[in-house]
Amino acid sequence: MVKKVFEKPLSWLERILFLDFIRGLSITIRHAFRRTITTHYPYEKLTPPKRFRGFFGHKVVNGKEPQPAFDEWVERFKIKVEPGRSRCVVCMLCKRACPVPQLFEIEGEKLPDGRRRVSVFNMNMMLCTFCGFCVDACPVDCLFQSDIHETASYTRKDAVLNLELLERIGRDWQARREDEPDRIWIDDAQRQKLWYENDLKLPEVRR
Amino acid sequence: MDSVLAWLIITVIKILVILGIVLGIGAYLTLVERKVAAHIQRRPGPMVVGWHGLLQPLADGLKLLTKEDLFPRYGNRFLYNLALVLALVPATLVFAVVPFGPEFETFGIKVKPILTDVNVGLLLVFAFGSMAVFAIALAGWASNSKYALIGSMRKAGIVVSYEVVITFAVMGPIILAGTLSTYEIVQKQIEQKLWYIWLQPIAFVVYMFAVLAEMGRVPFDIQEAEAELVTGFTVEYGGMKFGLFPLVEWYVEGLSLSAIAVVLFLGGWSPINIPFLGFIDPLFFLGPLSPFVWFALKVTLLFLFILWLHWTLPRYRIDQITSTAWKVMLPLTFVNLVLTAVIAPLIWR
Repeated sequence: MVKKVFEKPLSWLERILFLDFIRGLSITIRHAFRRTITTHYPYEKLTPPKRFRGFFGHKVVNGKEPQPAFDEWVERFKIKVEPGRSRCVVCMLCKRACPVPQLFEIEGEKLPDGRRRVSVFNMNMMLCTFCGFCVDACPVDCLFQSDIHETASYTRKDAVLNLELLERIGRDWQARREDEPDRIWIDDAQRQKLWYENDLKLPEVRR
Repeated sequence: MDSVLAWLIITVIKILVILGIVLGIGAYLTLVERKVAAHIQRRPGPMVVGWHGLLQPLADGLKLLTKEDLFPRYGNRFLYNLALVLALVPATLVFAVVPFGPEFETFGIKVKPILTDVNVGLLLVFAFGSMAVFAIALAGWASNSKYALIGSMRKAGIVVSYEVVITFAVMGPIILAGTLSTYEIVQKQIEQKLWYIWLQPIAFVVYMFAVLAEMGRVPFDIQEAEAELVTGFTVEYGGMKFGLFPLVEWYVEGLSLSAIAVVLFLGGWSPINIPFLGFIDPLFFLGPLSPFVWFALKVTLLFLFILWLHWTLPRYRIDQITSTAWKVMLPLTFVNLVLTAVIAPLIWR
């Protein structure tokens, strides 16, 4: 078998008749009359994949917490569990995992009945690199990254996510996309369809 | 006295019509270029301002007019502004000798749709074309910027080499027609029932290469070279002054050189030609408007071809460009010249 390393130099006939030019021109004219493949951004928007690393959110207590980890952490820190509020157990593991720890401002409070809960959870997005270490570190599947990627704001203050906002993002996410499967597994038929539509020839994709 | 007045009025009307058409179309060609480029890259191009972006050139012009007019420190203000005038005026003046159609009669007055039918029209065209070098060299020098200077020097090098080539390339059609007047050249092609491209294919190809070089189009856009030189000699210009350079260089000059190519090689306003037999006119139903439509159609197609080339080909190096001009193009035009001189008596009979 002959392996092709370089294009052969053009023959004299090809040079005189500009055959390489003509080949290129025929490719561009074919593309010019095909359908355009762009998204008209402010009017049409793509949904990012589920594992997209966008703005952060706090998942709220809704009965789908990872067990037994959640109950263990709640028992250890005597956390007051309220349905519809953040799952955060104030373990500070997110802050320890963060490469820029000062972007987290986390405080807990003690309630009159002796239980505790999170009171302050600020994340300064100006410092964040969206690496996702904090999400990996979270033992109770509370902190996560959503598909919100239009993050521009008019003031620096608006770039700080507080607890209320994080919970709101979390509720919205759980309503919209929590049950959606991750499209990363090789036996996922939907994923294969996505690759097929993109017309990519990957070795593991069978037509 | 009366006839002088009529001549004056007609000339003023011609000037206004030509200026309006050239600058208006020049502005709208920016939209055409963006659309063609976008579709070749499978994008839709401007879509928001007006139907399919039809008002985009107006929006762009408005934006450029409201920009701050910056001037580089230690630059030369007189030359900086002179470069602008030197770029715009000769490029527009070329249209004075472009014939748009045959002579016609309205209100008992015979009107030639050409501003001045001088008997050295082609000489004027290439004289004006050479003046573009001064504009670019001055723009680069007066800006006091190394990018601008490098860009303008590259452009000057290219234009100097390709001026020689283009002059020898158009020698062929001139010999066949026996005249330098643009109007007469088209008339001769109609009388001889022959577009000169059939006898001068080499000259046509060489001419097209030279047009690309003079317009600063890819593959010869070395003076712009966005990746290396930002945008070459226009770096230090701002606002409408920045907008005028591409308008002149890419659109007005491109239109004028395409029009001259149509006049020299494609028979001006004549319909489709079968060599030595006659002309076939599929647009006969337009009556007296047909020649004007043919001329506009040919210029449009030629310009679109240049755009198509621009968005297909990669860029050559400066030494490759100049060595092509001196070592390949120039000898080819000499060969073409000799061949033309041999066969010319057959055409003249």
